[in-house]
Amino acid sequence: MQEAELFTTYAATRDVSLRNEIVERYLYIAEMLAKKFVGRGVEYDDLYQVASLALIKGVERFDVSQGVKFSTFITPTITGEIKNYFRDRSRLIHLPRRVNELKLRIRKTAEELLAETGKQPTAREIAARLNVSEEEVVSIAEAGGVVSLDSPVPDSERGGDFHEVVAAADDGALEAVEQRDVLESAMKGLRPAERKVIEYRYLDGLSQTETAKRLGVSQMYVSRLERRVLEKMRETLKKGMAE
Amino acid sequence: MKDLMKLELPLGGEIMTTVRLTTGGICSLAGMDLDASEDCKVCVTESLLLLMHAGYRRAAVSFAEEEGLCISLSGMGMADDAEDVPEDEISEALLEALAAQVAFEKRGRLVGVTIRF
Repeated sequence: MQEAELFTTYAATRDVSLRNEIVERYLYIAEMLAKKFVGRGVEYDDLYQVASLALIKGVERFDVSQGVKFSTFITPTITGEIKNYFRDRSRLIHLPRRVNELKLRIRKTAEELLAETGKQPTAREIAARLNVSEEEVVSIAEAGGVVSLDSPVPDSERGGDFHEVVAAADDGALEAVEQRDVLESAMKGLRPAERKVIEYRYLDGLSQTETAKRLGVSQMYVSRLERRVLEKMRETLKKGMAE
Repeated sequence: MKDLMKLELPLGGEIMTTVRLTTGGICSLAGMDLDASEDCKVCVTESLLLLMHAGYRRAAVSFAEEEGLCISLSGMGMADDAEDVPEDEISEALLEALAAQVAFEKRGRLVGVTIRF
C-alpha cells in the first residue's frame, strides 16, 4: 500500500494491526533520529524508546489531507519529544559523576591497552574498548584541563596525587552528594518550619527526638509533620518530572 | 558580523568527531548553553553529511557571530562519479527542527547550507 492509502485506511478503520504495520514501516526514522542524540548522557535504548513512542503518537495524529509527507511531519515530532525528554531528565543526569567515572575508566583502559600492545592507545582504540564514542574520550580528556592523575595535588597537606584523591571519593560519598542536591531542590517550596524539620532530620542526620528537642515540640508532632512534608516533597518531585 | 573561524575540510565519516569538537568549542566561545551547543553540533554534522551525499569531496565551513551564531557550509570539489541524489527529507526536517533558522542553497543539487542559532 502507498503512504497516502495506508494513512487514509487507518484514519477510517483505526485498525491496530494496520497501525502496527505503519509504525514498523517508519521505525527506521525513530532509529535514525535517536542515534543523532547519542552522547548527551542518555543511553541509546532509552532514546530509541522515546522516539518510537513519539512515532506511534505521530501515526495517530498524522492527517494525510494536509499534503505533507509523513517523514517530513514525523521528524520534528520525534525530535521535539527527544528534546523534551532531555529537558525532563536533565535534573537526573549527574554529569560530573559520569565524567569522573568515565575518566577513571579511560585511564584504566589506556593502561590495559598499553600493557597488551606495548604502545600508547589512541582515543579511537579506547572508545572501541569502552563502547563509547571517540568524541566522549577526546572531550573528557579536556574536562578539567590536562592535569595528569599522577601529578601531585596542589596545596595538599598530606601529599599524594590526584589518583589517590579521586579514588578516595568513593561511590557512597558521591551518592550522598547527589541525594542532598535532589533533596535541596525539592525543599524550595516548603514553609520555614517544614524546612527546619527536613534539614535537621535529613541533612543534619538528627533523630526525631533530637529534632523535637531543638524545635521545642513533641516527637509525635515531628513525626506527623515529617510524614506530611515528605508527601508534599514527593508530589513536588513528581510534578517536576512530569513537566 | 564577527568572523569566528573558517575551515576547509575533507568530507568523510572520520572527520566528524573533530568537527563536532570544534563546533562545541565555538558554541562555547559564542556563549551558547550546552543544550543549544549539542543541537548545533548535530546540525553541522548533518549538513556536512548532506553535502557529502550530494557528491562533494570537501566542504568550507565558516562560523560567524551575527545576532547569535551563523554557520555557513558549502560543498567543494564534486566527485567525478557523483550521481543525482534525491533530497534527504529527514535530514532537512531535522535541521529545521533543531536550528533557529536554516536555508538550503540548491542549484539542481544542494550547494550549501546556512544555519542560525
